[in-house]
Amino acid sequence: MIITNIETVPGKNIVEHFGLVSGSTIRAKHVGRDIMASLKNLVGGELKGYTQLLQESRQQALDRMVDQARQLGANAVINVRFSTSSVAQGAAELYAYGTAVSVE
Amino acid sequence: MHMEQPFLLSKRRLSVYNLLFFITLVAVGYLAGTFAERYHYRSIDHREKMFINLPAVTIKTVNYPDDKIQSAELVYGSAVISIDYFKRFTASLRNIFGGTVTSYESLIDRARREALLRMKEMAGDSKIIVNVRIETSTIGRNANKKGVGCLEAIAYGTALIMDQ
Amino acid sequence: MKYTPRLPKSNVNVTPTSRLREFFILTLCLLGIVIAIYILLGFAVDMIVPRISTDLETKMSELFIRSLDAEDIDSEWGGYVQSLVENLQKRCTKLPYLFKVHVRNASSVNALTLPGGHIIVFTGLLDKMTSENELAFVFAHEMSHYANRDHLRGVGRAFVFITLATFLFGTDSNISKMLAHALNITELSFSRNQETRADEFALELLNCAYGNVAGATDFFAKIPKEQDPGKFGRYFASHPENLKRIVDLNKIIRDRGFRTAGEKPLPKIVQQSKNKNEM
Repeated sequence: MIITNIETVPGKNIVEHFGLVSGSTIRAKHVGRDIMASLKNLVGGELKGYTQLLQESRQQALDRMVDQARQLGANAVINVRFSTSSVAQGAAELYAYGTAVSVE
Repeated sequence: MHMEQPFLLSKRRLSVYNLLFFITLVAVGYLAGTFAERYHYRSIDHREKMFINLPAVTIKTVNYPDDKIQSAELVYGSAVISIDYFKRFTASLRNIFGGTVTSYESLIDRARREALLRMKEMAGDSKIIVNVRIETSTIGRNANKKGVGCLEAIAYGTALIMDQ
Repeated sequence: MKYTPRLPKSNVNVTPTSRLREFFILTLCLLGIVIAIYILLGFAVDMIVPRISTDLETKMSELFIRSLDAEDIDSEWGGYVQSLVENLQKRCTKLPYLFKVHVRNASSVNALTLPGGHIIVFTGLLDKMTSENELAFVFAHEMSHYANRDHLRGVGRAFVFITLATFLFGTDSNISKMLAHALNITELSFSRNQETRADEFALELLNCAYGNVAGATDFFAKIPKEQDPGKFGRYFASHPENLKRIVDLNKIIRDRGFRTAGEKPLPKIVQQSKNKNEM
């Protein structure tokens, strides 16, 4: 599945489109990560736990969007945008949306 | 706290009433929330079928020839969905154990799809809605503290109306 | 651009698990962890509390309990109850505490113990006393709590528990509030066992000091009716129902063969003050 952030897929023709597809996810951290973060607040450095949480979040959102596009019969998603909001404290919410198209 | 040792019975029913009240809130939240959600999803599915012929896309350029386009105007739709107590409690449990907060998933899904549908309703007769963007935010009393008050989703785009 | 209208077959954005099932699994896991920690704490407290010396306890309690004397009232009871308690301690127990009795003005028919050897007794209770033995039983019961270090156990466990909850869940969390309430309720059934043991110890003390246990059960028969919590309140009262208490006390008296005759009346000076109050 090709995913791009621009309006075209370079080198390919867009044949048809299927409308908007989106994937959203919301993941919470657990107390272990929380405690490590509090400790890191003392010494500083990268919060690997949270970075990992956000990466997992992003990956899941993209996967869901691709899944929905596949269900519509598309093979590419163009003009993808990310959006986030603080829907719950201590949870990472991510929303990815784009246009599902068929390219060749 | 248990510092004092009273000689006679002391009325500690306050704790029990508190717990019972809490359980009642959770139960009421679950029942009411599930009912509202099911009804809303049915409505959303029905309307999405209705609007299937009006696509919304995030791209800007669609290759319709300019002289065929009658007008283009901004259309938007927004929805504010609130959280029930059951969802809130399950989410705080999730915060302890980690993982996907499934109770909020349906909430944000509903809000966004509702906002898109309302945008399509506003578009009316247009052929396509381009450059759609979706924004979400939280509003309400608990928005800045722990927990969520309500979730607001707004979808906006440009609707293109063609010559007939 | 050609548009092909299609609808997705399933909703990818919502995990298809049952909400209720997830709720129950999570709650049961949490309860399991909480109960495990609670039991561990119970063992820890049982090991540590006997090792806290009474000196240390007195010093620590002085940090938390500021001047208790300020609320004491000056009455004829003051000197009498203090000497009564000191008498009990000198003759019949080896408790290493410096007991101090505080008389407070309140209609509550109750007496309390605080760490460090402070016993608070309310005038509401004193006014209902008709014999010295009765009063002595009340104090003996309070003193026996010290013998078992009951007050420390409850404090220790609750303290650690709430600290842990605050550390994990944050200060304002709903969950930690609910856990605190649940803890409060379970603490009640522990203290019921503690109370029964205290009653037994008090009977022994009374027998030692007076040669009989007269007056031990008199008190419970006099308790005002509204203090009886009824069937529902039974679990949630921190003391066994008074009627049951009388039954249990009588059973111990029969089993141990204590004598029940020989009441010693209250000294004249407090009798006079009682008569004054009743008028």
